[in-house]
Amino acid sequence: MSVDVKALKDEFVGHQFDEVEFVPDARAMAEFASACGETAPEFVDPSHDDFRAVPNYTTRYHGRRSLPKDFPVEIRTSFDAGKCVEVHGPIQPGDKLVARSHIHDIYEKTGRSGGMLFIVHRMAFSNQRDELVSIVDWRMVVRMDMDRRDGDSE
Amino acid sequence: MILDLHNHSVISDDSRAKVENYCQWITRRQIPLDGFVLSEHRQFDDVSDYRALEDEYGLLILKASEVETEYGHVLVFGVNADLRAAFPFDDVRLPLARVVEQSARCGAVAVPCHPGRPRVGMCAHFEKLGPVEGVTIIETLNGGSRGEENERAIEFAKRQGFQGVGGSDAHIVSHIGRCATRFEREIENMDQLIQALQEGDCEAISLG
Repeated sequence: MSVDVKALKDEFVGHQFDEVEFVPDARAMAEFASACGETAPEFVDPSHDDFRAVPNYTTRYHGRRSLPKDFPVEIRTSFDAGKCVEVHGPIQPGDKLVARSHIHDIYEKTGRSGGMLFIVHRMAFSNQRDELVSIVDWRMVVRMDMDRRDGDSE
Repeated sequence: MILDLHNHSVISDDSRAKVENYCQWITRRQIPLDGFVLSEHRQFDDVSDYRALEDEYGLLILKASEVETEYGHVLVFGVNADLRAAFPFDDVRLPLARVVEQSARCGAVAVPCHPGRPRVGMCAHFEKLGPVEGVTIIETLNGGSRGEENERAIEFAKRQGFQGVGGSDAHIVSHIGRCATRFEREIENMDQLIQALQEGDCEAISLG
């Protein structure tokens, strides 16, 4: 597969394509924290005065779409290159979170196994006071044909 | 003087290493490095200022780039505004000849790195694509390459008469200082590093 990365970026980067609401509950937050190996009471004990979500809690959420409608890259054979979380504020049980998704970046790189196209899907979470509380960047990787240049004909 | 010529910080998309943590690791582990170079992938970091860290830890911290060509990845030392305008650093299909030529024109030095690796190393492409004028230095010791890949690089350098340098290619803190380059002279800035590289006043060494 070969794609014109610049054209793809120009068309898709920065445009919101999904919006979903979530309301975290205390039990799920505590279970998630415990499953991650967290032991601090503010993350695993809902009765704690300062109980809140662990920093990576928002990685459990998914929107209704992974990519914008009509995104031209086939991602069925893509693989997950990991998630990166920025914490901007606390998340507490009962908060009404709004997650807005857009493509943050698209780029190519080469490695031992060949060419790769990275698609960075960003979900930005705000609470009921419209305060940004978390940003999750999820990288998806698609293998690329590096023998052809962008714009080459088939 | 020993410098680790190839490392990545959080500015690269695949690195989790903060520069201050590199400094702390070198100091606490008493790694015999006098400094290191940050060669971020497909970009040049002209924002970060590491002078305070240099002073605090007594280390030289220089900035370079690692770009991608049809011969594999290439370190570029001495990146300046002219060179950044000469080609797009984020293009993963740069012609090596152009990178070498433009680097020389702008007073920089291009050094193919981890040449022994498949696909992203120069050895894998050399037979098919042939030599590139202006390449005189390659990275013969790379901390992220396998033993046989570095052996291939060393043999390649011997055959072609290339100068060898070393770098750890660290992406996490504990990997800095695995490979480095020993210089016979003191180096205090990028200009002096370029001069030493151009004059071949160096050797690749393994520290790990």
